[in-house]
Amino acid sequence: MKGLLKNNFYAVYSGAKTFSAFMALLGAFVSVVVSQQLLLFYMLLGIVGFSVNAIASIGKDHISKWGKYKLTSPVRRADIVKSCFLHQLIWLLVGMAFAGGVMGLSWFLHGHPFDRDIDVFMVFAVGIGISLFSGAIFLPLFYLGGEERSGAFLAISLLCAIGAVMGIVSLVNSLFGPKMSALQAVLGAAIVLGCSLAVFSISYPFTVAIFKRREY
Amino acid sequence: MENILEVQQVCKAFPKTNFSLKQISFSIPYGSIMGFVGENGAGKTTTIGCILNTVARDSGTVRLFGREMLDADTGLRERIGVVYDGDNFPAYWNAEQLSRVMQGLYKQWDNAFFYAYLERFRLLPKQKIKHYSRGMTMKLAVAAALSHHPQLLILDEATSGLDPIMRDDMLDVFLDFVQDENHAILLSSHITSDLEKIADRITFIHDGRLLLTASKNDLAYHFAVMRCKESQFRELDPGDILAYRKRDFQTDVLVADGKDAARKYRGAVIDHVSVDEIMLLLAKGERV
Repeated sequence: MKGLLKNNFYAVYSGAKTFSAFMALLGAFVSVVVSQQLLLFYMLLGIVGFSVNAIASIGKDHISKWGKYKLTSPVRRADIVKSCFLHQLIWLLVGMAFAGGVMGLSWFLHGHPFDRDIDVFMVFAVGIGISLFSGAIFLPLFYLGGEERSGAFLAISLLCAIGAVMGIVSLVNSLFGPKMSALQAVLGAAIVLGCSLAVFSISYPFTVAIFKRREY
Repeated sequence: MENILEVQQVCKAFPKTNFSLKQISFSIPYGSIMGFVGENGAGKTTTIGCILNTVARDSGTVRLFGREMLDADTGLRERIGVVYDGDNFPAYWNAEQLSRVMQGLYKQWDNAFFYAYLERFRLLPKQKIKHYSRGMTMKLAVAAALSHHPQLLILDEATSGLDPIMRDDMLDVFLDFVQDENHAILLSSHITSDLEKIADRITFIHDGRLLLTASKNDLAYHFAVMRCKESQFRELDPGDILAYRKRDFQTDVLVADGKDAARKYRGAVIDHVSVDEIMLLLAKGERV
């Protein structure tokens, strides 16, 4: 597993380096400017951007024969899929760290950035939800349809993920009404998180089953 | 003699392309090099895919080290080194990064051994693979395949595209490897001169069908080609004809025992035959 994670890291490294530099610069700007919308956008971009960048890099294995070579090494196909899911989770944490860091800095410089402190949970939940849904949709599609369609699959999974999370948020809003209490807001965030985690978890065995049938 | 690899009656069909492997069977004893020869698209890579489980076979069995290898048999794959033709590793890696990844994949990965090979092959550890020449890429792949101390090397066109000097270097490495009697090599190639240099046995494949497996000594010293006129050809015992090919004024006939044929058909012109010519006669010729 260590070798597979290192492999995934090298695949994402150059993209992540560029994205990190961009996010650091944007983060400095966002933390100085007092704008709730900008901060919200930055947090979602950080949480979603890093993990989407991570899953996009998985296709790089198949530009060379490495994707096939890996199957001849002492790892199970399930481990290869597991490493992709873990890879995405690791980069999701990196994105959350960026989002949390800049939000904390903004809070430190200008006071609490949202109308209610509790709203921050919903922002994180939406970002994590979109990331997890994207991975859960992209990975089985990638192994099913092949690496040559990975660009299209990435766009499809990101759009589906945004749609799914927006759908859940709308459902939560209609369930609790426009003036949510703090407890309802936390519950709403938990529902978004729970659904995305459930889909992400279900996607793993499904992806393994697809990958086990793939021939290279 | 015990076999490190046994392939029995392996079949695999690709309905979309109409290609299929038909009942492929051969075995490789410990301490030997098996040459696997056939033209491009003959089924060599598919057979190797069936051996390594990158391709799911429709039927037949493959036994590595005496048993079938399943996806969960990571221990068996630890004992196999693989080199594919061309770019085995991502171009954005360098050899150092490759060794770090391999170290995480193979329990027996030997960094010192790998770096010794890098030095021997004059490969720079920090140079990106995308800046390597084709020969350097292949040398790196061979170094990586050997550095986890496998027992069986499976080389799929590992020498194609290399210049003669590099090919010779590689063949020396393979000969060194097989000095250990617990080791063996399956070397697929369409460059028959490589196989003539190092293989103990050669298996010919054409259009997904196994045509012949013979020891290199038999091929070199016993197999022969008879150059027959039409009348001579008609008098041949069909049992002696492995394959024949009609040309303008003669028919070339591949026979398994040139000396026997010389005794039996006095006056016939009988020549030694190269692996290349055997391949041509088997692939393009006709059978009785």
